[in-house]
Amino acid sequence: METILEIKNLTKYYGKVKGVENLSLSLNRGEIFGFIGPNGAGKSTTIRSVMNLINKDSGSVLFCGKELTRDDVEAKSRIGYLPSEVFLYDDLTVKGIFDHHESFYRRFERAAKQEATATPANGAAPAGTPAKPALSIHEKRQDLVARLKLDESRKIEDLSLGNLKKVGIVLALMHNPELIIMDEPTSGLDPIMQNVFYELLREERERGNTVFYSTHILSEVSKICDRVGIIRNGELIKAGPVDEISDRQLTFVTITSDEVDAIVAALNEKTGEATPTQAPAKEPGIKVISREGDTARFANNLPDDELIKKLAQFRIRKILIEEATLEEMFMHYYEEGQDD
Amino acid sequence: MIKRELKVNLKGFAVWTGTVLVLLLLIYMVYPSIVTAENGKKVDEMVKAFPPEVLKAFNMDIAGLDTAFGWLKSEGFVFLYLIIGIYSCLLGANILLKEESEKTIEYLAALPITRRRICADKIIVAVIYILAMIAAIGAFNMAALNISETPDNKQLLLLSITPVFPSLVLFAFGLFISTFTHKTKKMLGISIGMVFAAYIFNVISEMGEKVEGFKYLSAFTLADSRSVITKCEFRPLYALVSAALFAVFIALAVVRYQKKELV
Repeated sequence: METILEIKNLTKYYGKVKGVENLSLSLNRGEIFGFIGPNGAGKSTTIRSVMNLINKDSGSVLFCGKELTRDDVEAKSRIGYLPSEVFLYDDLTVKGIFDHHESFYRRFERAAKQEATATPANGAAPAGTPAKPALSIHEKRQDLVARLKLDESRKIEDLSLGNLKKVGIVLALMHNPELIIMDEPTSGLDPIMQNVFYELLREERERGNTVFYSTHILSEVSKICDRVGIIRNGELIKAGPVDEISDRQLTFVTITSDEVDAIVAALNEKTGEATPTQAPAKEPGIKVISREGDTARFANNLPDDELIKKLAQFRIRKILIEEATLEEMFMHYYEEGQDD
Repeated sequence: MIKRELKVNLKGFAVWTGTVLVLLLLIYMVYPSIVTAENGKKVDEMVKAFPPEVLKAFNMDIAGLDTAFGWLKSEGFVFLYLIIGIYSCLLGANILLKEESEKTIEYLAALPITRRRICADKIIVAVIYILAMIAAIGAFNMAALNISETPDNKQLLLLSITPVFPSLVLFAFGLFISTFTHKTKKMLGISIGMVFAAYIFNVISEMGEKVEGFKYLSAFTLADSRSVITKCEFRPLYALVSAALFAVFIALAVVRYQKKELV
């Protein structure tokens, strides 16, 4: 699989405060990559470093194998960017900002057309070049405006947060970028528009374009992302396919038994950890979440057969085993970090 | 981008230039009635009472106040240098910084243009407006004075050009200083303060040999209106120094801007 964006050992400190440290990450062409973490985890710092809006302390960012510098206009013409908060020129109308935006990309569109004309009909496109966009910049703009239900005659200063976000989405997508970088793109969008937006991202993926998508809304990740990276305190703690991360062996077990204390002790025995309230972080074990009478609920990452074997020694009146959701997985990763 | 910058900065240009022209119009309208032949003698007597240093500082030792052109050569141009200087310095301080202060820089920096191009386009627009302001004021003075009296038009033309030198230097300096911050609010006070400091240094430098060194701290020295009034010529050295300072501050500003963290 072709790597389109590679972040290598990115480190950024704001004075003595860590933004991100030694973060490495690769994005493949044609995937939607979710970058998740709570506020202040380092998502925006990573994105702004990639966009060269802030200076990296160390590390590098490669776009199609080439260092992405702040003045590489050819590379920038192939990237779409949506910041977390959209600030545009208040004096312009929506049409005005789109016209202004288009004017910067026309020469690249002309160059791409000429290149396409010069390429023999049966000749394969050179490696690293994007698939020829089906729509021109103007056509794509019109399509996006219609689908996002934007009124081009309105002034930027009169737009609500949601409409401003929609304008930002059009600006990020209208020039058919190969790499689309979006920092919390759905904040401010209503559920209907969120679905339209997810559909747009899926279409971009079908065209072979890549989406680097930062969010703290986990349900979005499971809906549309192919892979996910979890960032915590400026460090990437996990990256992989969404299914793989969701499939990590974590279940929530609720047991009702007269021997509940003995069960908890037995399940913790092998981990060697002294108290049942300690996290079974990297070693198999359990973590008691709640205890009420003879019922206990705990997070469990013991292998299933081991769990069953241990529980078989006790008399259990009721048992419920639930698979962890992505949200619970995410919280689990974070709790692991806090326990470290 | 130039087109947009021209549009964005047009209002500021119109307000500043319009205000100056209205003030000049009012002065030219009332000046003949204030400075009559009778009053002229009183004014001359009053002026003679000023210390020679003050007279020199306002060119009143080489230009009389008995005509509107005389007033323009002395107090008039001092006022014009100050106003055009403040406009230029504020323009320099804001033209790049505005994008950061209004947070539109995240959009602008993501566009396929270099930071050098952002600087170049904005500098071109600012220089156009500074020169346009100087030209508009010069043209207005030329027209107004030729209606009411018969000024030395060559001298008036050269005098009208003199604000170019301090103004462009102040613009470039304002631009350079703006690369050290992210907020236009901070720069407003700093810019006006810098222009007034330069103005005061220039006035002080005219007050004696001991304080003459202050002229090296003031961009207004570069206007060198005394040379135009007395010899009807620019001193090439001042023009060269102005060009050099402009180039140095612009280069420093561009270099700093290219490395600047924009958010």
